[in-house]
Amino acid sequence: MTTPQTFTMSVVLNGERRCAPVDRRMVLVEALREGFGVTGPKVGCMTGDCGACTVKVDGKVVKSCMELAQAADGSEITTIEGMGEDGRLSLVQQAFCDHYGFQCGYCLSGMLFAAEDLLDGDDDPTDDEIRYAIQGNLCRCTGYQNIVRAIRGAAEARRAETAS
Amino acid sequence: MIDQAVADPAPRREIVGSRIPKHDAADYVTGRVTYVNDVVLPGMTHVALVRSTLPHARIVSVSAVDAEARPGVLAVVTAADLAGVAGPVPQTSDPAGVGGQHVDIPVLAADRVVYVGQPIAAVVAETAADARAAAAAVAVEYEPLPFVLDIDEALAEGAPELLNEGAGNVLVSGGFSGGDLAAAERAADHVVEGEVRLHRAGAAPMETRGYVANWDDRTRRLTVHATVQNPHPFRHAMATALGIGEHQIRVIAPRMGGSFGHKTHGYPEEVLICALAKLLKRPVKWIEDRAEALLIGGREMRGRFRVLFTADARVLGLTAQIDSNLGAPAGAPGWPMTLMAALTLPHGYDIPNCAVTWRAVVTNKAPWNGTRGYGKEVATLLAERVMDLVAETTDVDPAEVRRRNWVRPEDFPFPTPSGTNLDSGNYHGLLDILEAHAGLPALRAEQRQARERGALLGIGIAFEVVPELVDLPGTLLSAQDTATVKVDPSGHVTVLTGVTSPGGGNDTAIAQIVAQELGVPISMISVVQGDTDLCPYGFGNVSSRSTVSGGGAAALAARDIAAKLRTIAAGMLHTEADRIDLEGGFARVSGDPDTCVPITEVAGAVYTLGFILAAGIEPSLEATRSYRPGNIRHTPDANGNIQPYSTYSNGLHLSVVEIDPETGVVTVLRHVMVHDCGTVINPTLVEGQVHGAVAMGLGCALGEEAAYTADGSPVGTGFKTYLLPRSTDIPEFEILHQETPTPFTLHGGKGAGETGVGGAIAAVAAAVNDALRPTNTSLTTMPITPETVLRAISAGAEIQGVRK
Repeated sequence: MTTPQTFTMSVVLNGERRCAPVDRRMVLVEALREGFGVTGPKVGCMTGDCGACTVKVDGKVVKSCMELAQAADGSEITTIEGMGEDGRLSLVQQAFCDHYGFQCGYCLSGMLFAAEDLLDGDDDPTDDEIRYAIQGNLCRCTGYQNIVRAIRGAAEARRAETAS
Repeated sequence: MIDQAVADPAPRREIVGSRIPKHDAADYVTGRVTYVNDVVLPGMTHVALVRSTLPHARIVSVSAVDAEARPGVLAVVTAADLAGVAGPVPQTSDPAGVGGQHVDIPVLAADRVVYVGQPIAAVVAETAADARAAAAAVAVEYEPLPFVLDIDEALAEGAPELLNEGAGNVLVSGGFSGGDLAAAERAADHVVEGEVRLHRAGAAPMETRGYVANWDDRTRRLTVHATVQNPHPFRHAMATALGIGEHQIRVIAPRMGGSFGHKTHGYPEEVLICALAKLLKRPVKWIEDRAEALLIGGREMRGRFRVLFTADARVLGLTAQIDSNLGAPAGAPGWPMTLMAALTLPHGYDIPNCAVTWRAVVTNKAPWNGTRGYGKEVATLLAERVMDLVAETTDVDPAEVRRRNWVRPEDFPFPTPSGTNLDSGNYHGLLDILEAHAGLPALRAEQRQARERGALLGIGIAFEVVPELVDLPGTLLSAQDTATVKVDPSGHVTVLTGVTSPGGGNDTAIAQIVAQELGVPISMISVVQGDTDLCPYGFGNVSSRSTVSGGGAAALAARDIAAKLRTIAAGMLHTEADRIDLEGGFARVSGDPDTCVPITEVAGAVYTLGFILAAGIEPSLEATRSYRPGNIRHTPDANGNIQPYSTYSNGLHLSVVEIDPETGVVTVLRHVMVHDCGTVINPTLVEGQVHGAVAMGLGCALGEEAAYTADGSPVGTGFKTYLLPRSTDIPEFEILHQETPTPFTLHGGKGAGETGVGGAIAAVAAAVNDALRPTNTSLTTMPITPETVLRAISAGAEIQGVRK
């Protein structure tokens, strides 16, 4: 057997150019957590079912357990740690705080990115549309109720910001 | 970094009872919260487990030759390597304590495996990938033995014996009776028998288990970062298993990604990872994968009943037998779910004549752990099925049947035939609220119209009463807890508490309670949980006790501090201590609010001006107090029963479902719950608990199932084969509150967190059966799946108004 091979992975991670040695066998969530020490994306299933590992790669929301680290080499990656701007929470993050849109917090990467993605394309979604937008993410704590409420609140806040 | 605080409303006297958002929410939404899997130690090694592939077998040999030769491998450890080092797995609640059988639970199987997934060997390697690859190269030779998966087969003569030789497969059993069933039989107009069944279903938190252990050879101490609800009892268990002192172990339970019982201790891997760290003298990390997490079961129970009642729907007597299929014996406290199911009967109904028996039976499935609901859900399913059958037989409305049989509000505290003592309640009030909100007559009219057009629409009602704040004698499952409150010279308050929060936010509730006692804003309070070196001895998170017991202890400690602050402030403001109000961050003179001093200055004065202002008092702002809720009795009554629960939360559910007769798919159109957990400290937190519990109940009723193949392997190894409810599977819940304070706790609060699971299961089941009424069939075995619905429909005698 060969020894595990590593490669130097280079990415723009949460706005910063970063390099780290990464095991070629790793999927992206492992590379982010173990190679770059960015632990916001969580491991819940490793089969693409729960969404806890969600990040944004080159502007696209992906489940980072479903992507090889090597395939993401050279890309621009945003994790939950990099969602806010200028040291402030994003409106979606703030809404999840205000509406108690999570309990244990493990699903937040998936829920927050799915919500941002939805609201980027539709500033006034119906509850059914919200439920559909987050259905690829599992939450065991909230029954999704306050997550839907938080996204509704975030949509309102975004519209208010646009209007002002 | 983002450092934006969430809303911090001005403190008021009414801070307890207010909707305060989670106090550290900003840390979560920015990914700054540490969970066990985020812990990285220098030189850390990784573990993968070799697990049994057979449900019952003799282990002939374990060959590690190939595995040891693989890159990065540091050790392959088997049972022989642990002899004299660690084990057996300590039992959180040994069944021998209530007359059951004691079985030693091995850390690693030595000569026999009793379930698919049982750990046989551990591979320690430099990386997790190396460990997994090497684990796959460990060769285990088995000699298969006959196995049993079904409870009746396990109870049958000649079944494979899984306990001590000649002892059968009943791990532990018991029962209680009260009243005069023979007299009830004579007085009854009707007798109905039946059965309900709950399937195997797990807790499945989003974060799996994990342990990071490190043995420091210089200080002879072990530090374990663990996903555990109960850090101190866990420490006791590790000390026992490893043969070292409790003081030599520090357990750190960081933030948890949910638990629901899954992270109550008693697992082989806990002992194993600690032992490996001690053997290798390097940090060792193990993170459970999803398939491993889904091995852990719960809930698989059946309840058989015989109910005696009058023509006017008054229940006179109930006989019930609760049996559970526990899987293999375990160190984790799964089996008491059976006992709790029995104790929950007769479930808030005033049924004076009862006989309930229970048996916890072992099979060759993987072991249980306690799972949210903790067995009470099968009692609810049984009792509510009973009430619906009474309604059907007597032609009295199901809601009215409940009204006639409930314990009346004026009769609390109410001793039941099981020896339990229902603390308080107003069950009739729940129904009044539900009726006002949901408009039952209108719903029935809607249903009639739906039936006329051939639709299968059903309305189900289910009541639940949920014993909480358990205290089992002889175990570290305790209702009491301890807290330390301390104020530093700058006035910042730190609360150290023995309870933990798997996500539900009891730390926020405890901060609220302390904020109210000390009159300071919540932003001035830090709550420290889950560290056995820092926190007072506590019993962690179990039985929905954390806010009541942890909050009670914190309130008492804060009151001691508040008394000192008043004394010092009185000196500063030239008045008497009893004239000082602590409010809004200030100590104010009562009736003269402009004469005040900031509490931060009062705190500083204790430390710096003690000889002037604090001469008469002990010069510290640190208090430790314990709180023990009332209503618990461990001395057996005349019938030999104890009363192990403090409070009995309750709720009433209404579920409206529609069944598609073509596909068998059940859609929950509405789910309403009226919830009563006594005084509410924070309605937002309580509603969050209820949402999660109801969703778990709906998931359990309509599909979540940890099935086994005929050859004894689990089917659900991931979220494609074990189906948790998704956002599109459940409706928006309608949650209403009733507050009936209990006289037995400091704030009048009862446990919140488990109420919702059993009621949701029972209400959905009732609604489905109501929907199926035109087809003359009913379903009493959970889960209700499209397949079981279609089978029921086609088995129905005639299908009126339903197109075939």
